Amino acid sequence: MSLELNIVTPEGTRYEGQVEALVVPGAEGDFGVLPGHERFLAAVRIGELQIQDGRHALWAAVSDGFAEVNGDKVVLMVDSCEFAGDIDAARAERARARAEREIEQLRAAHAEATNFLIEERALQRALIRIQVASKPQRPM
Amino acid sequence: MPSLKDIRRRITSVKKTQQITRAMRMVAAAKLRRAQEAIESARPYAERMRETLVEVAASQGAEHPLLATRETVKNVDVVVISSDRGLCGAFNSNVLKRAEQEIAARDRTAERLAIATIGRKASEFFGRRRREQIVRSITTIARIDYAHAQQIAAALAQRFLSGESDEVWLVHSEFISTITQRPRVVKLLPLAPEPSQAATDKPPFTIEPSAEKLLALLVPKALEVEIFRALLDNQAGEHAARMTAMESATRNSEDMISRLTLQYNRARQAAITKELVEIVSGAEAL
Repeated sequence: MSLELNIVTPEGTRYEGQVEALVVPGAEGDFGVLPGHERFLAAVRIGELQIQDGRHALWAAVSDGFAEVNGDKVVLMVDSCEFAGDIDAARAERARARAEREIEQLRAAHAEATNFLIEERALQRALIRIQVASKPQRPM
Repeated sequence: MPSLKDIRRRITSVKKTQQITRAMRMVAAAKLRRAQEAIESARPYAERMRETLVEVAASQGAEHPLLATRETVKNVDVVVISSDRGLCGAFNSNVLKRAEQEIAARDRTAERLAIATIGRKASEFFGRRRREQIVRSITTIARIDYAHAQQIAAALAQRFLSGESDEVWLVHSEFISTITQRPRVVKLLPLAPEPSQAATDKPPFTIEPSAEKLLALLVPKALEVEIFRALLDNQAGEHAARMTAMESATRNSEDMISRLTLQYNRARQAAITKELVEIVSGAEAL
């Protein structure tokens, strides 16, 4: 028994293959999917995706989107998905520093709450990328 | 009759032009390949998204303000997408002409019409003629990424939700093939998901958090996808049109060179003949 996983982003398909199980960062909390899951549709937040593929575990940083579980087919439609080995840790670190600086400036300028949102999300994405980058890489 | 030197100069200049057009053609071909790949890559996501949207919107009976048609349409936004650069045949003028028609037609029924342009050619075109109606322009799109589409979608959705616009139309070039790009007019808002033919006899999805909330996330995404697609199509179309235009320019300069060479040889021969005649008649006079 295995699941057929498909991860699609606007910039292309990121993963296609059979997996044993996965843990998805749902908007309402992380959820695990195993073969035989009910038909399920959920929003996905910026977070860490874990895929159990045979003996290996893969990690990826994903951002907002949706997860669709349909029989033994799982489709993740997310804005972006980067696997541990593909993440440029230095770039993520720079993105984090920039987001923090921007937030600091907004705070100093007493900007409205809506202005913070974009930067906070950028910061969140950077933090997740940094976190995922330290995970074991995708075995080739 | 131009002198030999003049003709020679023309030939060199045409050759130089030809070098440029040939180089541009090759650059456009390479860029076109990349643009086509981007379209291909975006397709699975767009298709999945549409299927999910249709399912959620239909099965749950959930509603969303961006899906609601308004009874009276007073304020209309028209978004026009063009390329930044020229030298791509009639690519931009086709889409601008179509946009012009669309705007004229909408202008008769709408109380107020606003134009938003994406791409330098469109913003120059409408900027000169109806400056007061420009709401927003993204002038240069060097490299398209999804974030651009998100920004545009967010701005349009916000105008629609606040009542500044009751309908939003998009005019862009559709990339059909390397030789065909056609202007396309599509209603962006209110969004109407096309129903899929696949009968849904499957049990309904368990939805988390709720159909209503999920739809609130799905609908803006669908708008982003539509805009993203239009941007990618525009990009691929631009390169395809430039490639075709430059190819025919290269061919034309080839023709011109051979015509000029012929002329040059004739002129050279005439000069030789003239000289001979002069020598001969000079000899006779002695």
